[in-house]
Amino acid sequence: MEGSIEVLKGGLALMGYGLAAIGPGIGIGIVVGNAITAMARQPEMAGTVRTTMFLGIAFTEALALIGFVLFFIA
Amino acid sequence: MSEQLILASECDVANEVICAPADVKELFELPTIFHIGDIAITRTILLIFLAAFIVVALLYFGLRKGNVIPSKFQAIVESLVQFVRKDVAEDIIGPEGVKYAPYLTAMFLFLLVGNLFEVTPLVNFPITSRMAIPAFLAIVTWLIFVIVGFYKNGFSYFLDIVWPKAVPIGLRWLVGLIELFSTFLLRPLTLAVRLFANLVAGHLMLTLLLGSGVIFIWNFADAGAKSLVGIAWFAFGLGIYLFEIVVAVLQAYIFTLLSAVYIQSSVHPEH
Repeated sequence: MEGSIEVLKGGLALMGYGLAAIGPGIGIGIVVGNAITAMARQPEMAGTVRTTMFLGIAFTEALALIGFVLFFIA
Repeated sequence: MSEQLILASECDVANEVICAPADVKELFELPTIFHIGDIAITRTILLIFLAAFIVVALLYFGLRKGNVIPSKFQAIVESLVQFVRKDVAEDIIGPEGVKYAPYLTAMFLFLLVGNLFEVTPLVNFPITSRMAIPAFLAIVTWLIFVIVGFYKNGFSYFLDIVWPKAVPIGLRWLVGLIELFSTFLLRPLTLAVRLFANLVAGHLMLTLLLGSGVIFIWNFADAGAKSLVGIAWFAFGLGIYLFEIVVAVLQAYIFTLLSAVYIQSSVHPEH
């Protein structure tokens, strides 16, 4: 098959990105789930909780984003 | 999007293999419209200037009169400015956050307009899906928080990062290394890539779903009943369209919020 090494590299990069997205996916689920619990328990704190939730998501996302960059580099 | 449609309409919809995917770069590297000297002006560059012009016009005409009883337009612009000033700058950075409010407001509005170009009919191209804009804004934020950190705290800003006193001595070098890497390298990188990746993904999804939907339906005569799949694609694309409006606003907000948090970590490094 023509250019099979290139095809293989592309496939491996895709798989690497898929693997890199697992951890942040679970992490964001935990962050948002706990934020919803907090908002349900204390609705008056919803604004603060929402801001902090976005921050938590942003930091958790970092690994997935690094995976995304490496996908393009590979 | 139009080029992709032309490419797609040239393929053979009647056979099993519908279409070989074109190079994805064609969606983002738009052709040159005209030259000014050596500078090739593309649609992207015109859109960047249009976004900047819209922001300036919005702020100028919205806040020009400053009536005590605002008109509807003035109320909208005031609430946008007030939102960044109070809910982002003051709530996160603290009382001295007002100093950074102009930068944050300008950045938020520019990103908001740039992101919303993705879902604006007849424009349909998010300028933030070209890496140059998120990268430039991330570098400016990086410069601000590094310079403010050194200006407010002197060299101890750097020392507190690489040699954190709160951590037990055995682990201090490891935490310091991670913090050094994450503060000066990962912060600007993730800030830029988060915005870029979200908008690239959104633009791709919208183009593929709406574009293929339209192509399938147009080729009803050739493909017959198979082209009814296009209706499903188009409907799914419209659902994603609504989702992308939320993403566009949210990503502009998150970029501004994180910039404020990074500046805050330089103004009050102990937190």
